[in-house]
Amino acid sequence: MHAYYLARKDWKRSILLIKCQVVQKVASESDNESAGTKRKKAKAEESWGDWQVEDDLMMDTEKEDFKSRLAPDVTPNRQLPWLTGIELLSDTNQNKHFLPTGLEGIDALLGGGLRQGQVTEIVGPSSSGKTQVCLSSATHVVDRNFGMVLYLDTSNSFSPFRISCFVNQLHPSLPKELKETSLQTIMSNIYCQSVFDIFALLDLLHHVETTLKHTVKLGGSKLCLLIVDSVSSVIAPVIGGKNSQGWCMMASVGVLLKRIAYEHNIAVLVTNHMVGGENGTLKPALGESWKGIPHIRLLLSHGFRSYCQFCDWQLK
Amino acid sequence: MGEAKPENWIRCDETGKEMLSRVLSGRPFIIPAPPLHRLALRLRNVVEISGPSNSAKSQVLVQAVVHFILPKEWAGIQFGGMESKVVFFDLDCRFDVLRLSQILTHRISETCGSIGQIAFDELFHDCMSRFLYVRCYSSSDFLSSLKELSYQIQRKDETIGTGLRLLLIDSVGSFHWIDRSNQLRGLCKGKNISPQSLQEAIVHELHELLLLQPLLVLATKASLFRTETPNEYQSTGDRNLLFREYMPAVWQSFVTHRIQLHPSDELLSDGSEPIRSYTSDWLQPSVSIKDRFIVRDDGIFLT
Repeated sequence: MHAYYLARKDWKRSILLIKCQVVQKVASESDNESAGTKRKKAKAEESWGDWQVEDDLMMDTEKEDFKSRLAPDVTPNRQLPWLTGIELLSDTNQNKHFLPTGLEGIDALLGGGLRQGQVTEIVGPSSSGKTQVCLSSATHVVDRNFGMVLYLDTSNSFSPFRISCFVNQLHPSLPKELKETSLQTIMSNIYCQSVFDIFALLDLLHHVETTLKHTVKLGGSKLCLLIVDSVSSVIAPVIGGKNSQGWCMMASVGVLLKRIAYEHNIAVLVTNHMVGGENGTLKPALGESWKGIPHIRLLLSHGFRSYCQFCDWQLK
Repeated sequence: MGEAKPENWIRCDETGKEMLSRVLSGRPFIIPAPPLHRLALRLRNVVEISGPSNSAKSQVLVQAVVHFILPKEWAGIQFGGMESKVVFFDLDCRFDVLRLSQILTHRISETCGSIGQIAFDELFHDCMSRFLYVRCYSSSDFLSSLKELSYQIQRKDETIGTGLRLLLIDSVGSFHWIDRSNQLRGLCKGKNISPQSLQEAIVHELHELLLLQPLLVLATKASLFRTETPNEYQSTGDRNLLFREYMPAVWQSFVTHRIQLHPSDELLSDGSEPIRSYTSDWLQPSVSIKDRFIVRDDGIFLT
């Protein structure tokens, strides 16, 4: 969040800070009670009045006035930030399901599909099928009523025509009217938004996060899959060079994606392109620091024959 | 003061034997699971496990967790675990609890053989409730969780205060770029709190925590900046890759042991399909033997 502020001009900073604090205050007031949101509340309360808490954190804990200031806040009723293994396991089993991509080979490699709460990355040279995997996942997830899909498109690659092809493949034997209605339903559950730079991406992700905090599930569609195609095309222009601001923004995007995925039980799918590495081989773009962000990375590559594609799996 | 005799100064407080027995009982040696088994670690040691992105560092942490949460003995069966609580600070936010439960299940089934489902569930539940997990999305989150932990230990709280022996930090360099660029702290009441001081505060807090409660600290660090040096060892097939240190000096002096993991290019055939092996190399203290291990469904095994 802080890196995002750095990117704006100074005179806008104070406005953004106020916005952030208001949002967090509202978030802490309107949370409904559940284990995950109780924790968020504690965190929101902690970061409200952001600067005072940071000041306190820096101070020496041995000083008596600090101890007396800290102790009353940490009452027995305060929700502690840790979970035991049992709670973690039950949360994973209940809330973190596998979402189908529609491609059996990829589902098999992923152990069932895209996992909610995790960030999956698809890497490959150009025209190796990354966007097709994204479109296919979006179609299949919505078709099986898992929820809504948010497709963040950075390179104008979203194709409604392709979605309709997938729908035709899914239901080949339906009469034309039913196909039309199912296509309409599917299309209305896929939200596509174009983003062309990293600031817009960060803005949008923050907006998504605050919206999700306030949305109560209305027994219908809730966001379950977030696709960013391709994340590298917005990050690559800002990284590199002597300044570390770009790397900081990349790291912020990573933290934000993981937080959205975990706290709101969403599967995040990002695509990345490849660049030239040592000895003329190709390697994934965005460098070593990005490798630590996604949970699972899939490598797509062209086979020797143009219609063959192989898939490689690298975990962490 | 003037009445104190000079002999009092040179009278010993305890003999060497007494001191050794006191120290060994207070800080016993721990032989962790491979690949950390080469050195006998003790509580209050800080081990840094470094390596590039896909070198099984988090798997080593999960293996250590299983070793610590298993009981020494349960229903007459020897497990050889440490039966103590574990706190896992997930700064990387990539921890997979299903992997932990998979390894734990395998260990229990392997050691116990066939036991009833209820007994298994009870043991599993006992072990998993000794595992405590904290997610941190920023360095200040991490710092506040550490402070809270030391407060709970001081209060001798039932849930976490007692019986804590292992503290794990997954990826201590996760917020490196964010902290480095973060200059907004300068706004804070006129004080210039640099990211260096945030790191220093974290190390100070960890240090205080170790004084309060003897713990073994295992921290992973992703090696981000590679500098490949051409050297004579190329002929043996070992690539001697050096990684530039990016953690601040405060952290570097806090660490007592260092081990570096690296994925090797060779694929060993394990049953039906080739499996990647990893090498581990103790940098501090330097051990001349390099271990090689593989990661299977049921944990880490040496080859």
